[in-house]
Amino acid sequence: MSNRLLDWCFKKSIWVYHVNTGSCNGCDIEILDVLTPYYDVERFGIKLVHTPRHADALLVTGPVTRQARERVLRLYRAVPDPKLVIGVGSCSTGGGIWHDSYATCGGLGNVLPVDIYVPGCPPRPEAILYGVAQALGLVPKQVEARSFVEE
Amino acid sequence: MFKHAVSELKEAILCLRAGQVTLGYPFEPHSPEPGFRGLLILDPDKCIGCGACANACPARLISVEDQDGHRTLDFVLARCTYCARCRDVCPQQALAMSEQFETATSSPEDLRITIKLRLVRCRECGAVVGTQRQLNRVLNELPSQLGLPPEKMDWLDLCLSCKRTRALREGVLTVEVRA
Repeated sequence: MSNRLLDWCFKKSIWVYHVNTGSCNGCDIEILDVLTPYYDVERFGIKLVHTPRHADALLVTGPVTRQARERVLRLYRAVPDPKLVIGVGSCSTGGGIWHDSYATCGGLGNVLPVDIYVPGCPPRPEAILYGVAQALGLVPKQVEARSFVEE
Repeated sequence: MFKHAVSELKEAILCLRAGQVTLGYPFEPHSPEPGFRGLLILDPDKCIGCGACANACPARLISVEDQDGHRTLDFVLARCTYCARCRDVCPQQALAMSEQFETATSSPEDLRITIKLRLVRCRECGAVVGTQRQLNRVLNELPSQLGLPPEKMDWLDLCLSCKRTRALREGVLTVEVRA
């Protein structure tokens, strides 16, 4: 019962904590865009908070550099359950152009259990909105792997 | 007191005039500007598997592997930077950037394109020559460009070193190149 109540409450207003783990700031600027009156995510109850202890979701940008890894793990532990982890940008999705660099962990998936990835370099503000809505189960997934074989 | 009320009223009227700036995005579509580079799409009928895209990709996300009579091109689009260099270098115009940006997924494996093309091996030593589609393109274009009779194209399924050996043995194939 309490879990169901929690789940119901969780979908109503997501407070996010934004973490930059070595991103080039492209994604961070798009995240700022989402918070402006033009995109206005506060109408969905989504709000940026300044401490992970108030957050429901971690919005992580960047490929997770080795230096940032420890901090990201500490942040993850500081967020109360239930929590969402949203990887924004191609860097956190697959490591970006630093996927094989010694200085990065090659993507957020190698460090944390990620709920949703928002690829893009940087993703459009609309794409970030869509990703958050998808994490909450409000909109469907639109991509799937494709493969072709010549006979 | 009265002055203050008037200035507040003025401000209220200004606010009314500003109208609404917020997009209706999640409830109504907001398509990107023309020239927007979204998710990569591959036309499997046009691709010849030359691997030019793999050479150009800054994120090295396209791998080319020859195995068991097939060449496999694997696009790991999770780390795509949407620079469209692959589209620009593709000699077949098989790659295009779509306008799709709603690509959020819970698994990066969803952002993957694999294409398997039939491979041609050297008829003498068995080394990889290229894909069947690559040879077909050469067959279609080279004779007319070089003024070669099509029957001279029977060296096409030889690898580079076998071609050299053969050229030395049989005398070099002379080609008159038209300027």
